[in-house]
Amino acid sequence: MGYRQRHAIPDLGVGVGLRSPHIAHVLRTRPAMEWFEIISENYFAEGGVQRANLERAVASYPLVPHGVSLSIGGADPIDVDHLARLRALAARIRAPWCSDHLCWTGYGGVDVHDLLPLPFNRATLDHVVERVRRVQGELGVPFALENASSYMEYEASTMAEHEFLAELAERADCGILLDVNNVFVSAYNHGFDAEAYIDAIPADRVVQIHLAGHTDKGLYLLDTHSDHVRGEVMDLYRRALRRCGSVSTLVEWDESIPSWDVLSNEAALARSVRDETLGRASKEAAWRAPI
Amino acid sequence: MAGADLREVQRLVVEAVTRPEAIDASGSPGGVSLLRPSARGMTREDRLEVYRDQFWQRHVPSLAEDFPTLRAVMSEAAFDDLLRRYLLASPPRNWNLQRLGAGMPAFVATHSAPRYDGLAHDAALLDWAFMEVFDAPDAPPLDLRAVASASPDAWPLARIAFLPALRHVATAHPVATLRAAVKTGEPWQRPAAAKSSAVVWRDATCFLHAADVDPAAAQLMLALQNGQRLGDACASVAALHPAISAEALDANVGAWFQQWTANGWLSAVEV
Repeated sequence: MGYRQRHAIPDLGVGVGLRSPHIAHVLRTRPAMEWFEIISENYFAEGGVQRANLERAVASYPLVPHGVSLSIGGADPIDVDHLARLRALAARIRAPWCSDHLCWTGYGGVDVHDLLPLPFNRATLDHVVERVRRVQGELGVPFALENASSYMEYEASTMAEHEFLAELAERADCGILLDVNNVFVSAYNHGFDAEAYIDAIPADRVVQIHLAGHTDKGLYLLDTHSDHVRGEVMDLYRRALRRCGSVSTLVEWDESIPSWDVLSNEAALARSVRDETLGRASKEAAWRAPI
Repeated sequence: MAGADLREVQRLVVEAVTRPEAIDASGSPGGVSLLRPSARGMTREDRLEVYRDQFWQRHVPSLAEDFPTLRAVMSEAAFDDLLRRYLLASPPRNWNLQRLGAGMPAFVATHSAPRYDGLAHDAALLDWAFMEVFDAPDAPPLDLRAVASASPDAWPLARIAFLPALRHVATAHPVATLRAAVKTGEPWQRPAAAKSSAVVWRDATCFLHAADVDPAAAQLMLALQNGQRLGDACASVAALHPAISAEALDANVGAWFQQWTANGWLSAVEV
């Protein structure tokens, strides 16, 4: 039995990241959207407007927390306060799963608030497997790791990123959040084959797919989440869907955030690509109004 | 346990990406030697510089957004310089970017450069109070029925608790009015020095406010927040203000209590 089936991971359809400029509109008008992803750390506080908004949003939509600061690959000890807050958040919103990134975010107590790449080798793999097992044991919900975009590679790497991620997921028995834009960006930056990457990911472990826009900086692509999803990324999305089947899909847009209409149209475009690729089975999970 | 190699890799990369100077071939930090050049023509230095640039682009604007009043009372160049010096002295040590500026008021106060004057320190204190109350824990509203039925004799023994999302700010300049003008884009003038006490709080609808309060009222609030019973707290305030008669203080306390209740500042009264 595959990972998604064992953990009864639902297909939530196509959603978007819930970001500050749209929260008032979403809470007031409750527009049609199949689900929202929230940045976990933005909702860790024990009070205030973010927490109040969360209580209202969870009454109308499925929410999934997506973290940026767990530092699963960090050499520093896991931040137990962060983990406790994530567990509490997941329970409060009845999250079907939680996710964070395959990366590290700081060292020696300094948090650089970035998704830094790891050296992909056996020693790092052993280290991350152990930490993922611990996190999964404490979270109480399935946990998935996202492939992050990266701009540098280490001389100490002895494995391809997709080999590392696939073996990590198998050994730690966790899910994968497959960000096809990140695959595209990193493939460009490091010169690997994006399609081969998609084909090598264990399909039954993919609990969610991310789509986003990026920025061409000339010598490299930067994962800015500031634009429409590029056509080449949509092609990779089709390829990932053919391998993974009906998997929850999420459109991220975090910089130069557009109007709600533009964002929801981007989700509708992803939905149409999904329906075309998967056929009628996907269409049965119709574009639906809030709960 | 992480291997020594992974720790060393991460130490060197953090050292490189938090440094203020751009990474180039003229002075490569240790982290550069860990990397491969890209097939597309980026050098090792170029690749590490992407992350160093992101570090400063992420944290400087985040801090600037947290200190609007401080920004208003400084020149743009001095403010930017202050933020960068602060980040060098106090690099982020928490996942929560909202806590990044926790040390800013003390940093402004102790900074050696003469341009960081008392007004800048007061502005930083007020701005930080807003940051603290933004996501402080919620508290249930005060049940006024318990207060209304209390015997007058019981009041001196009462313990009064204020909202977790409430802070006192004692300053040498009236910065609460200044911040309100800055936030609304109204014209403002640099205020003259004048001792001020302000309360910053988050109301039940999550709006943030600041209000000037009588210094004696602020002292009473602080005594109550420190756990003193109302009678003892009033005696503490009276000792600080011998010119105020006991009757006048009693009348003031009644009016202050009404103001605190009306503003929703109280979370519990144990009487």
